[in-house]
Amino acid sequence: MDMAIETFNLTKKYGAKVGCAEICLRVPRGQIFGFLGPNGAGKSTLVKMLVGLLFPTSGKAILLNRALGDTEVRKKIGFLPENFRYHDWLAGQQLLEFHASLYGLSGTAKKRRVSEVLDLVGLAGKEKQKVQTYSKGMRQRAGLACALLPDPDLLFLDEPTSALDPIGRKDVREILVTLKDLGKTIFLNSHLLSEVEMICDAVAFIRQGKIIRQGLLEDLRTSNIEVEMKVGGLTPALTAALSTLASSIEMEDDLVRIRVKQEADIPRLAALVVTGGGYLFEMHRKKSTLEEMFISTTGGGEEIC
Amino acid sequence: MLTMMGITFREGLNRKVLLISLILAVIFLGLYGTGVHYAAKSFNEHPNPILAAVVYPQLLSFGLYFGGFIVSFLAIFSAVGAISAEIETGIIQAVITKPIRRCDYVWGKFLGLGLFLALYAALFFIVIAMIINVKTGLVLDGQWRALGLFALQPVVLLAVTLFGSVVLPTIANGVVMFMLYAVAVIGGMVEQIGWLISNTGLQQAGIVTSLVMPVDSLYRKIVHLLMRPTDNPINALQQMGPFGSMAEPSVWMVVYALLYVVFFTGLAAYAFGRKDI
Repeated sequence: MDMAIETFNLTKKYGAKVGCAEICLRVPRGQIFGFLGPNGAGKSTLVKMLVGLLFPTSGKAILLNRALGDTEVRKKIGFLPENFRYHDWLAGQQLLEFHASLYGLSGTAKKRRVSEVLDLVGLAGKEKQKVQTYSKGMRQRAGLACALLPDPDLLFLDEPTSALDPIGRKDVREILVTLKDLGKTIFLNSHLLSEVEMICDAVAFIRQGKIIRQGLLEDLRTSNIEVEMKVGGLTPALTAALSTLASSIEMEDDLVRIRVKQEADIPRLAALVVTGGGYLFEMHRKKSTLEEMFISTTGGGEEIC
Repeated sequence: MLTMMGITFREGLNRKVLLISLILAVIFLGLYGTGVHYAAKSFNEHPNPILAAVVYPQLLSFGLYFGGFIVSFLAIFSAVGAISAEIETGIIQAVITKPIRRCDYVWGKFLGLGLFLALYAALFFIVIAMIINVKTGLVLDGQWRALGLFALQPVVLLAVTLFGSVVLPTIANGVVMFMLYAVAVIGGMVEQIGWLISNTGLQQAGIVTSLVMPVDSLYRKIVHLLMRPTDNPINALQQMGPFGSMAEPSVWMVVYALLYVVFFTGLAAYAFGRKDI
């Protein structure tokens, strides 16, 4: 599989303090990849290393088949920083033209691309205004427009919707899905788990600078399934039989909550109830939300290193 | 590099510090022009060629000395946060992640600010020279070379301030650069006193400070180019005082200043190339 991002034991240390430790990630092209973790876990450190703001202490990374630090590859990489600040004395169009020049665009190609991204992020008509008069949401849109200028194959977005209202967030989600459909890879660093859940194909969780879990979102969801059953005629023997399939089991009168590790265990649970002499009145599969996964995986909360 | 140079030059034109510097320059040149006007008027009404031959060059060096102050302040204020402020605000994150080399970013900043400061200084010099020439009729022989050196002064300060902007936070850099500039100014005066009283220790102290920060020695060279003391005995009197130049800095000091600029800008580029943002 062709990878957009591959990291091999990528590590960043600040003296004795560890920013990121031995990060090994593989992000295939054409995916929206969510990178999740509590504050201070090392998310921004990894992104900053990948976009060239920080130099790794050890390890290596490959972006779009080029080694980390290669200047040429950046012509196909867009980046929206978390603390988006721009030359606010420029008008929106001037700002985009400046960033387009940094990407090596010139002449009509520059004008055309600036016009396209202004339309794409919904800033058309506002391009003559100075950036300092923009609202926070408009500035974030301008930042996204800057990141989209080179028609990037790989897009790093650090909290891209944090300043946007619900409509703005929806707009950005739609832009990201459109980009994905065009085969672009998006590395999304976000705290808005509901959004990540809506658009990401795969996620990785980081805690204390280390990747603790990663995979396709659907695989992660199905690897930890909660089933709720209303069972009549429960006996100790039946409970013991159900426990053989469960990674955890909770019982409250005739209500049984069981966690199983694979989907195939769900019909087996039903079969066990029936063959064990019980009466199955209700059975629900509860999908694990990303938020539940996040809390159970990272422990939640802010990390103090 | 050219993109960075362009945006930096435009930023220089947009900064409030330019507006303040222009207002200060207008006030200074207005007062200076008025002073020169009345001095010339007085000599026209009561001719005294010998005294005029001493006073007019002193007025010129006075104008260039304090004009150099304003230009130097503009250089420090413009460059003090050229890189550090962009790091502190986060503006830099969206810039150096683009397909440009870090050294191009630094050299682009240097060229943009350097061009802006050199033009400002050149304009300042031309106005002072015109005021003196029109009002007093004083002919300035080496004016073009002097103009070049006057324009070089803020560039020297720019190079070292830019380096400071890579390795220090903005406020700390500002404090260090003003101290460095003060060392150069005081060192220059100490050296003048050394030549006046023939004290080798003071002369050498001045030379050492010129090596640390060569701005003042460039000013002394400018004064020598415009008023050569060997021409006649009166000219020796013109070079006395804190604004004069009793010993002409050699051409090697100019070469040193140019190398100083290249060295500190190169050092800034090197340090920035290894800096975590």
